[in-house]
Amino acid sequence: MNFCAILLLLALATPGWGKEPEAFPDLNPNNLYELKEATRVLEEELKLAARPQTYLLIDLSASAILIKGRGIGLHQIPIATWSSGPQEALKGVHRLMARPPVVRRKIEPGAAVEQEPISVADMPTDYVLTFTPPLSLTVVPSVANDGLFRSAVLLGKVGWHNMQDWVAQFFADQPVEPSSSLRLTLTADHAQSLAWSLVDGMAVVIRRSSDK
Amino acid sequence: MGRILLAAFAVILILLLAMYAPTTTSPTSGTSHEIHPTPVEDKASLRTLQARYKTLSKQLAQLTPNQPYILVDTARNRLYVKRQDEIVLDAIASTGSGTILDKPGEGNNQWVFDTPRGEFLVKSKLTNPTWIKPDWAFVEEGLAVPQNAVDRAEQGVLGDYALGFGKGYFIHGTLYTRLLGKNVTHGCIRLNDNDLKGVYKLARVGTPIMIF
Repeated sequence: MNFCAILLLLALATPGWGKEPEAFPDLNPNNLYELKEATRVLEEELKLAARPQTYLLIDLSASAILIKGRGIGLHQIPIATWSSGPQEALKGVHRLMARPPVVRRKIEPGAAVEQEPISVADMPTDYVLTFTPPLSLTVVPSVANDGLFRSAVLLGKVGWHNMQDWVAQFFADQPVEPSSSLRLTLTADHAQSLAWSLVDGMAVVIRRSSDK
Repeated sequence: MGRILLAAFAVILILLLAMYAPTTTSPTSGTSHEIHPTPVEDKASLRTLQARYKTLSKQLAQLTPNQPYILVDTARNRLYVKRQDEIVLDAIASTGSGTILDKPGEGNNQWVFDTPRGEFLVKSKLTNPTWIKPDWAFVEEGLAVPQNAVDRAEQGVLGDYALGFGKGYFIHGTLYTRLLGKNVTHGCIRLNDNDLKGVYKLARVGTPIMIF
């Protein structure tokens, strides 16, 4: 009896005792679609988290981008709004082909003046990321200072990517899968922060949403 | 005869239509081509999925380090020591400047002074470390690279401790504490004396370091 009481006391005193880990706290456990999607993402994520690397989880359900490692959320970037092509294509693990370019300052040997370092403020706020298998991820800032010009530049970038896809399909011997696309609107700071944290070859997995 | 031909033509037409009819997929659920299960099947698959989701969530949680780990945010120049979700130590750091320096006599080869991103392990713990100056330290100052290893040794610039995480990268102290919080290093992570001592005490060889 006393032993049982001690065990009960221990259970109550230990923080998190019996607390089930939950990968997606926002998940509705009675929604079949949400459960299917969450288990699919977890299966993909387990493979990524088993290796020493950082990866991205774009959680469209929770409107957040998570930089993760070993299953831990290292940093979270909120998504203001998003839109996508057919979500069916946003499955699987995609790998980033190249991080957004940044102009690096060159050190002149023996120069008296130190070169200005690059910082997150040097990163672009609107850019298109390409992944393999084909996925085109467009990031746009939610508040654009020079809205029209930025929109025109971005439209040009997206158009260029679409044209490349079209040319590849036209000249390919076998039918090429059209690339899936996702467009994220982030604040300018968050867009720069994401660009900064990206690494060539970084894996991304997307949790799709049933909202759209 | 005409009627038979007409009937045959109609059958062929129906068959062709059935073969080449496009399969429609919903952009939202991605499951519209599946047969909808009956409510009984629905409940059973819901229970199976709920169990699977719990198992996968547990498996992912098991990949999280049990011991304290070091987290470095290179965008904001912060270093944390965390145990599960708890922040044990929060420090202002200096990380890589992102600048470049030409390697003399090697054409287009350059040193890129970034702090590497990803997952690493503490590989060594040193007290009163001596800095063995690499080639770039001399090239940057416009000096000739010494042939003698003794000429590369410099005492007292790395602080009281250094934690190596591979390829010549260290978490170490600094003489330039006013530059903490900025991207100014050649890839190493600098801390002030107190924080460095804290990290040295908390970390062991094998402690994970997550850098993003």
